[in-house]
Amino acid sequence: MLRTRVAIEEFTRSVGAANDNQDLSCLLDEMTRRMGFTRFALTHHSQKPAIRLSTYPDDWIAYFDRNRYGMSDPIHRATYRTGAGFRWGRISDFIELTPEDDQMLELARRHDLADGFTIPFNVVGEPHGSCSFVVGAGRTIANDVLPLAQLVGIAAFEGARRIQAKQRCRSGHLPRLTDRQRDCLIWTARGKTAWEISRILGISQETVVLHLKQALERYGVRKRTILLILALFDGTISFADIFGRSYTHFWE
Amino acid sequence: MLHMVEPFDPAEEREVLRRMFVARKEVFVDLLGWDVPVLDERYEVDQFDDEHAVYLVVAGRDGSHLASARLLPTTRPHILADLYGDLCEEDVPRGPDIYEVTRFCLDRRIDAAARRDARDKLIGALAGFGAANDINRYTGVADMGWFQQILAFGWRCRPLGLPRMIDGQMLVALAIEIDEETPRLLAEAGIRTGQPNAEGVSHAA
Repeated sequence: MLRTRVAIEEFTRSVGAANDNQDLSCLLDEMTRRMGFTRFALTHHSQKPAIRLSTYPDDWIAYFDRNRYGMSDPIHRATYRTGAGFRWGRISDFIELTPEDDQMLELARRHDLADGFTIPFNVVGEPHGSCSFVVGAGRTIANDVLPLAQLVGIAAFEGARRIQAKQRCRSGHLPRLTDRQRDCLIWTARGKTAWEISRILGISQETVVLHLKQALERYGVRKRTILLILALFDGTISFADIFGRSYTHFWE
Repeated sequence: MLHMVEPFDPAEEREVLRRMFVARKEVFVDLLGWDVPVLDERYEVDQFDDEHAVYLVVAGRDGSHLASARLLPTTRPHILADLYGDLCEEDVPRGPDIYEVTRFCLDRRIDAAARRDARDKLIGALAGFGAANDINRYTGVADMGWFQQILAFGWRCRPLGLPRMIDGQMLVALAIEIDEETPRLLAEAGIRTGQPNAEGVSHAA
């Protein structure tokens, strides 16, 4: 077993010093093995994830992307239901598995992804993601390594965020909405009409329509549905904004 | 507007405090279902709310509560040392320059944008108060989701031990280092603190 405190501090320090995704991948791969896992995947759950580092088999990743499993993957879905890491064996505590899910998990098993431990990642205002540590068939995961895996996953995702933020500064911008455009979009997602939104926000109906039109233009799309989907994917708005569940995490 | 309030001070501050205890009850008891004491069915007040506690409160112009946090000196009894000492792999960090952050509370009644704004101001107030009072480190206990948010604020933050499952929640003890770089780190992470020394940087980020 690892000397945990030393392991965490060393890992956090080297993640902080990692300059790019390749550095980070190497560090995470090494740590994955030291913890007794064989593969990892650290990823946003969108279809074109801004963050994705992985040592999953290439043919599995290709299959996954071809079928657009980013949002429907049962492991990903379960991460929306919990703040802490979970073993794959516990997945039915969080979601009901469909026959397709069972099929997919079975297929994953045949791609050397038999059992795993997944850490949800959800920072307010950013796309949802997760970090999974996985073993192949016939290997077991030691329970006492899970708390360490939990911290390693969080530290690694934080490292990936920083690297991405640095790159984004260099390479330009995502579409950004103004606060008002964002408000109008959130109320639209909640099913309010432009007139209702104008009453809620205390502005004119024309202004609401204009905000939404400009939001569409910023994303270069024509329909509000797709605008909503894109804004959810890139974290401009979150499900929590729409359903008012933003409050889960607090200092004791 | 930021009120920095010490307990049992003159009238206006007392009202700010009163509203804070109401907000804490609404969040921690009504919303999160924590098993903590409630006074007079309205106020969440526990044994650590004494004359040694320091409260940082972000209030609206009309004095309404927007966000608040409680700081406890680690030289005295506090939550990490008294209730969650096992979360620290080594000794619980204690000293005159170390304070514990507890009851980080964002008001239920304000919308998401206002809440984020209040949150950022409160984080800035934590950094500013630390710098002004020779506090070099904050400690605290958080669940995994909140720990991720705290890390994402950009300041130097690290776990003090492995997380543990306690009463159905996975909790971790953490430490945040406060130094002259903290305002810049917060600004780079997009936290709009509204603190004068971070102003220029936060617009650039």
